[in-house]
Amino acid sequence: MRARLLSLLIVAGCVKGDPIDLGTFVNNGGSLAIDGCGYTLTTYPGAEAPTVALPAFGADPTPKNIHLGLMGDPKTSVVAQWRTNDDTTRASSVRFGVGANLSADQLTTTVQGIEFGYQGTGGNIYRVHQGHLCGLSAGTTYSYQVGGEDLSGTSHYSPIFTFHTAPDVSANPDTAVVLGFVGDSRGGYDVWQQLITELQSRTPDLILFSGDAVTFGITQDEWEDFFSLAQPLFATVPMIAADGNHEANAVNFYSQVAMPGDQQDYGVDYGFAHITVGNDSPDDPSAITGAARDAIAADFAASQSAQWKIFMHHQPIWSASTRHGSSTTLQMAWQPVIDHYHIDLVLNGHDHDYEVTKPLVGMTPQPSAANATVYIVAGGAGAELYPNGSNFWTQYSESTYSAATINVRQGQLDFEAFRQDGSAIPTGFTKTKP
Amino acid sequence: MIAPARVAIALIAIAATGSMAAADDAETAADRAFRAAETAVTNGSAAAALDQFEAIGAARPITRWTDDAWLEAARLAERGRDYDRARRDLEAVIAVTTDDQLARRAKNALVRIAAAAGAEGQWSAVAAEHDRLATAILSPSGDPKPAIVELERLVRDHPDYPRAGNARLVIARGWERDGDADDAIATLRAAASAGEAIDRRRAGLELVRVLVRHGELDEATTALARVDHVDPHDRAEVADQLETARHREWWRRALWLGLAVLGAAAAIRLRRATGSWRATGRALLRPPIELAFFVPIAVVIVIVAATGNPMVARAVRTIAIAGAVVAWISGVALEARRQRGSLSRIGAAGHAACAALAVAAAVWLAIDRDHMLDLVEMTWRDGPAMR
Repeated sequence: MRARLLSLLIVAGCVKGDPIDLGTFVNNGGSLAIDGCGYTLTTYPGAEAPTVALPAFGADPTPKNIHLGLMGDPKTSVVAQWRTNDDTTRASSVRFGVGANLSADQLTTTVQGIEFGYQGTGGNIYRVHQGHLCGLSAGTTYSYQVGGEDLSGTSHYSPIFTFHTAPDVSANPDTAVVLGFVGDSRGGYDVWQQLITELQSRTPDLILFSGDAVTFGITQDEWEDFFSLAQPLFATVPMIAADGNHEANAVNFYSQVAMPGDQQDYGVDYGFAHITVGNDSPDDPSAITGAARDAIAADFAASQSAQWKIFMHHQPIWSASTRHGSSTTLQMAWQPVIDHYHIDLVLNGHDHDYEVTKPLVGMTPQPSAANATVYIVAGGAGAELYPNGSNFWTQYSESTYSAATINVRQGQLDFEAFRQDGSAIPTGFTKTKP
Repeated sequence: MIAPARVAIALIAIAATGSMAAADDAETAADRAFRAAETAVTNGSAAAALDQFEAIGAARPITRWTDDAWLEAARLAERGRDYDRARRDLEAVIAVTTDDQLARRAKNALVRIAAAAGAEGQWSAVAAEHDRLATAILSPSGDPKPAIVELERLVRDHPDYPRAGNARLVIARGWERDGDADDAIATLRAAASAGEAIDRRRAGLELVRVLVRHGELDEATTALARVDHVDPHDRAEVADQLETARHREWWRRALWLGLAVLGAAAAIRLRRATGSWRATGRALLRPPIELAFFVPIAVVIVIVAATGNPMVARAVRTIAIAGAVVAWISGVALEARRQRGSLSRIGAAGHAACAALAVAAAVWLAIDRDHMLDLVEMTWRDGPAMR
């Protein structure tokens, strides 16, 4: 302990409000087991290996772009993420407490953070901080703030935010959860902000983002807009995302959005819903019919007992928009798996319009949604709108900006969509199961 | 004789058992009623479901479904645009619930309804009508014009309506969808100078987009200069659209002019080769042999394209027709020239170059329609993954 403190003092002694220079930036990625959480954080090539934070500030350690993610069980864990106004602050910790709207002195638990840098376009190094809060109680409201302290005791912390862990539906089977669904914000941040406000008013428990947050994943400046405008929501509700073709598997995406597993193909239980996320724009396109499909199928198989099965990925399997339209590749590669495991709902973006299909099995519309899949395209979170279309599978389509909520409780799933001004888009639907 | 205390205890136990049984009955009944109401929603009987949920909420004793039932009722009421009823149901949630997440959900919903319908519900009827008309205008089927006219009247009759800015944007979209760009532009001009700053800004940006879409580029430039306090990425996106539109307008004019020049040159050369305009006309009536090779291939390509993206299919059709025209004129000109003697190499190369230019111009003009050029440029610049 003393040796560790001494080494910290030696390193931090180099800092008097100035950036730490710890040598050449090494961006081969790496892994760090997170104490008390039961998972390992792995960063991608282009990023440093994650390290436990050091108690030192840069020129402006004010936290910004605060948002929540998930890497473990959402009933008992959450990941707080943020950047600072400088990219050189290494101090990183999260203070939190049980209850809503607590004051700073009521945040009695502190978790030391993790931080690492990643390299975007222009060779700039950006730094992200994470606090992994584990061992939480299900269905509980917490207050928290992010920031850090240096060895002199000086601290810089964010305002206090509140979040709510996922409910334990085995103990409280009557609980409903609200999932927010949105995607394709790139380049249209006024609309993005409007939809964030509308989503926030619907008090979601989890946000599902279907990809294309920015125009070029490797360029940081749009990420700044994306996260800063979403902070009122994302700082209080965790968000998980699918990789879109515009994220392009960039290190910026994987570094800033904490997600389970390999962050590409993974699954999460939330309430009575199991959400599987797939990457349909992998670096190796053969993965669509190979490793990615296998991972998705494995997740479907492992979650068969979930009452409601939701699958989110970026490019639509069924879309009548005249811009991109249906992906025949994914129809052949993934739809058989979707049908085999009776996925209730598939959430897509990519086409910047709104479309709901009739319940489908294969290419055949079904008279009811029981044992059939409804495909949703809602790629209208700000990117330039595309013309909508209609085909034999289309229940409703509209060229509009949109987001949606999915109310999930035991026995009922209710889907509602709305435009950026809050007006309801017709053809929401409800499914019930015994 | 049984002691009075024992009797009293027995009576209390009997009463407690009865209460518990009654409570269990109430919970079971509420559970059944909640499921029945959910089924009613699924079956499309929203009005009946709303009544059922409210009945569960109002029933006593309070069960574990009471707060959920009020919340479900509020959602259905809001969905049915009965904001006053939704408000009452949400207040009932807050009054009974001990679940802080449910309470938060209800409070946020009250704030949302207040924003739409006014803190005292003074705009409830107007908001409901606004939403009904917006759905009619933005729905992809049907004639939006009657709804547009009604929404215009609604906004005119209620100038203080807080969502008037949103309504004006819907009106403009409706006019544009109806093919009336002038009315869409006029609506947006008015909206860009009325209402809250945020509404004016949004209307200003949308005005620029509509002006660009309809080729009013000078006015778009002026309109963009007037929009302030805009997110820099939004401004950059619109400015980029404007610059691209100018660039393409230049090319569009140049290529049409080029096609006209090439067509005139072809006509003059034919006239020289045939000796008279009448002979030129007669020559053009006979399709050249090139078409025998070109047309079957073009027909196959057009049929295959028709099975895919409709925008691509239309462009392929236009290109095929343009190609057939160029091949026809080119073939006739070559035949006429051949009848007067052999064509020099330079002449042949020049002829081929002119035909190729004509085809290239036609291809560009064909894919310029429906913003397909954006798709092609993005694919060329960033690869197929970035479409």
